[in-house]
Amino acid sequence: MSRVPERSEECDAISDDLIEFALGTLSGRSRSLVLDHLETCAHCNAESVALADVADTLLWLAPEAEPPLGFETRVIERFRGSDAERRVVRRRRVSSFAVAAMLVAVLGVGVGVVATSQGGAHHPSATQRPSTGRLTLDGHVLGEVTISSGNPSWMIMDVDTGKLSGVVWCEVTFANGRSETVGKFTISHGYGSWIAPIKASGSDVRSARIVNEHGTVLAQTTFTT
Amino acid sequence: MRARGSYDDETSDESLLSGAAVGDDRAVLAFVRRYQRRLFGLALGIVGDPGMAEDVAQEAFIRILRHAAVYDVRRGSVATWTLTITRNLAIDALRVRRGIPTAPEDRVFLSLVSDERAPDDAAAMSESVTQAHSALSTLPIEQRRAIVLAVMYGRTVAEVAILEAIPLGTAKSRIRLGLAKLRDAGAMMEAP
Repeated sequence: MSRVPERSEECDAISDDLIEFALGTLSGRSRSLVLDHLETCAHCNAESVALADVADTLLWLAPEAEPPLGFETRVIERFRGSDAERRVVRRRRVSSFAVAAMLVAVLGVGVGVVATSQGGAHHPSATQRPSTGRLTLDGHVLGEVTISSGNPSWMIMDVDTGKLSGVVWCEVTFANGRSETVGKFTISHGYGSWIAPIKASGSDVRSARIVNEHGTVLAQTTFTT
Repeated sequence: MRARGSYDDETSDESLLSGAAVGDDRAVLAFVRRYQRRLFGLALGIVGDPGMAEDVAQEAFIRILRHAAVYDVRRGSVATWTLTITRNLAIDALRVRRGIPTAPEDRVFLSLVSDERAPDDAAAMSESVTQAHSALSTLPIEQRRAIVLAVMYGRTVAEVAILEAIPLGTAKSRIRLGLAKLRDAGAMMEAP
């Protein structure tokens, strides 16, 4: 059994938010503050993982429900990637996930998004086609990155590293050679999903990668023009 | 050696994922059939809208199947992995339309926070699920309700406070204390 790390005063300050962080419902500045703290606090990292484990176990209690007729067929066809289904899926995703992601990223995660969506001054056009790349390391696929082509742009990153846990940073490199750290997020039990705005045109992004605190590249992808 | 495409109810989740990873359509179909009710049910419970729940469940399946090749058994069971992905996607989708927190469906919610299960439900539950339910049922009812709203239905602490008509600090305390008790009882809550 590993030793429980020491607790500090900072831990007390973020203890309430740590619960919501572990449950995945914390957003905005509070989430950023917790991430900052987790970078340096092994105690809260361990606490966060333990709470997330409890929550994961409880998910088994969710009631089952019969999906709509044809659900499994739609999943299979989408997975197979038929052209016809891709078009349908793209519309569906734009209508829910992609627009959701854009709004979350551009307008500020979470609270108030419904109200602000009517203003919609800066969110990128849904007609612009996002770029998707596979995050790889040594030939192994470890995740996926989707970047919209608008300006400002948004990024969705899904990683499935298998064994990695902890805070990682996302960096992008633009067509002019400039690199920028877009943000950071936490990978728990190998899995992490993250959405963030990019204050530039997404079509200028040439590569994206996640790195650890030592700058070691954990996975990366490139985008062709 | 299992013949390609030969899958049944006894086939392990890991075998189905392995089959899916090499492009075996029968493995994909078997996996989807095995989990579609559970993933859709979880998504529906969180987002409350059948259309959005289908989007969430579809997206969850696609991500799971695409990542089947890199699934690592050391992270926990396939089932818990799939449910966690679904829950995270559902909460992401819910964030966009959140503004007015809605109460979950009464029948489902009440069954989750009740002390007892109907006999047929109990028979259908695995031992692990029964243990999880038992651990949850040891909590005071107010903590149980707050935990279910936050964990199962993806409600924020502020929304739990509104739905339960309690101060924000009370909602935080209930969730924190409840989770801490469940965490301390972790030895009896091994995931299926």
